[in-house]
Amino acid sequence: MAFPERRIDTLQTVELAEGIEIHLRVAGPFLRLMAYLLDLLIEVAMLVCVGVLVNFIFPLFGDNVSQAIYLLTSFVIWWFYHVIFEVSPWGATVGKRTLGLQVVNTAGGAVTLGQSMIRNFLRGVEFILPFAPLIAFFNARFQRLGDLAAGTLVVYSRPRIDPIIPGPPPFAGVPVNITLTREEEAALLSFRYRCGGWSEARRMELASHLRKLTGEAGPQGVSKLIGMAHWLEEQR
Amino acid sequence: MNRQEFESKNRKEWLAFEQNLAASEKRKPTDENANLPAEFRKVCYNLSLAQYRMFGHQICDRLNGLAIRGYRLIHRKRSSFGEGSIRFVMGTFPQAFRREWKLFAVVSLVFWIPFFAMWWSADREIEWVQALLGPEQMASIEGMYGKDADTAGHLRQEHGSNFMMFAFYINNNVGIDFRLFAGGIFFGIGTLFYLIYNGLFFGAVVGYVQYSGDPELLWRFVAGHSSFELLGMLVVGMAGLKMGFALLAPAQLSRGDALAKAGRDGLPLLIGGSLMTALAAVVEGFWSAQPFPVNVKYTVGITFWVLHLLYFVFVGRRRHGA
Repeated sequence: MAFPERRIDTLQTVELAEGIEIHLRVAGPFLRLMAYLLDLLIEVAMLVCVGVLVNFIFPLFGDNVSQAIYLLTSFVIWWFYHVIFEVSPWGATVGKRTLGLQVVNTAGGAVTLGQSMIRNFLRGVEFILPFAPLIAFFNARFQRLGDLAAGTLVVYSRPRIDPIIPGPPPFAGVPVNITLTREEEAALLSFRYRCGGWSEARRMELASHLRKLTGEAGPQGVSKLIGMAHWLEEQR
Repeated sequence: MNRQEFESKNRKEWLAFEQNLAASEKRKPTDENANLPAEFRKVCYNLSLAQYRMFGHQICDRLNGLAIRGYRLIHRKRSSFGEGSIRFVMGTFPQAFRREWKLFAVVSLVFWIPFFAMWWSADREIEWVQALLGPEQMASIEGMYGKDADTAGHLRQEHGSNFMMFAFYINNNVGIDFRLFAGGIFFGIGTLFYLIYNGLFFGAVVGYVQYSGDPELLWRFVAGHSSFELLGMLVVGMAGLKMGFALLAPAQLSRGDALAKAGRDGLPLLIGGSLMTALAAVVEGFWSAQPFPVNVKYTVGITFWVLHLLYFVFVGRRRHGA
């Protein structure tokens, strides 16, 4: 396991048939609301476009037929805009794709037509009661009622890549004399690769927790820790 | 093997996998030597190794992303639409209906009791009906089914008016179905409200036509599509109530899990019921207003009701290939 059992982040761990664990990054309500507003804008724009188009073709087909065309297209746009995009290979509406979100089932796979229908049809009534969408805040996966009923999640579609900000280069490798657990080793390495973004005081503060290991305090402690990380990675 | 060795040894394969993934996702031809499943398994193996050895977020996140994309691509379902539809119509839908027959009894009562109560009340005390319909509805009903009314058939002489009415019914009635289903999320209250309201309204229309118009005009018009429309609405109502009951009485599951299960189980009812309502719009748009003799209309209407009965009772009983 790369992560401890009790987590404070929103990663959702799913075990695949391949015997591996993947971590889905669940998207928060604010970004989803923005994506929804963007989609709403697009929907309204499409409806307006259809209205204008119908006005242009109206002399060709006559009153009834053009009105029928408008009714049918607006039905499709209003009820199936989200559904059509979510079951497409994109797995996301235009708004969600723009913001890097994707709709997946709880196992991380593509959603089916039915799942997409349920989660989108429920949205309409969910917004009638002002507290209903807030349910998304009360479960670990930020699922609103429609997501719960459909068994879907909204996740970030692209992996997050943290920038590496390594600290100052080590003067020399410092051998570690005791056996470290994997977690401890990983902590040392991530100290080395992240401390470039911290102030000197913060580095010293963190390094002081490991005084027992390094036997030094202050700047010497920091450089010794970096040296140990260097040794662990390169020289062991 | 430390992190650098691990990365430099495998980087080329990850890059190749990423490129092949991107090509496949866009339905473009992949590299000739590409073997996505094998590359995917390799990435999975690398991911579990990187996670176990704690090679850091850089590598783990990247491999995690690749594994998710590969999983989505390789495990996607690709059933043909035609075959899926046939299986749905000939099995899944009627089976789901029979499995939930108790819900059908509930929604039927919830709809038909207000319907007949309203109809019956028109005979004794027309004011209830008048209050529910309001002056505009009454005027429009008298226009369509009144004693000396221009019947619906005559209204439909204009070019394209059948198509126009079809589109209107799709937009209106199927939309109502979807709201009827969604209303079930409020512990079933929304679904019950729509069913009771529709029962009262239809009952009032029938009662009012009986009171002031020519009932034969009404029956002639609704006979053909009545079975599709009413049963379609009730079936969608079943799916909505299923969610409501799941929230009220989740049994052994958590409310969230019960809701997910109800959504899954009720889905065929939602889709099937909406399709029936769409069919009703076809019949209502292109058949119901045609000026055919009364007997033909009644025969067609009764035939459709019998076909529905046969469909829901008998279709999909045999299991193929277990």
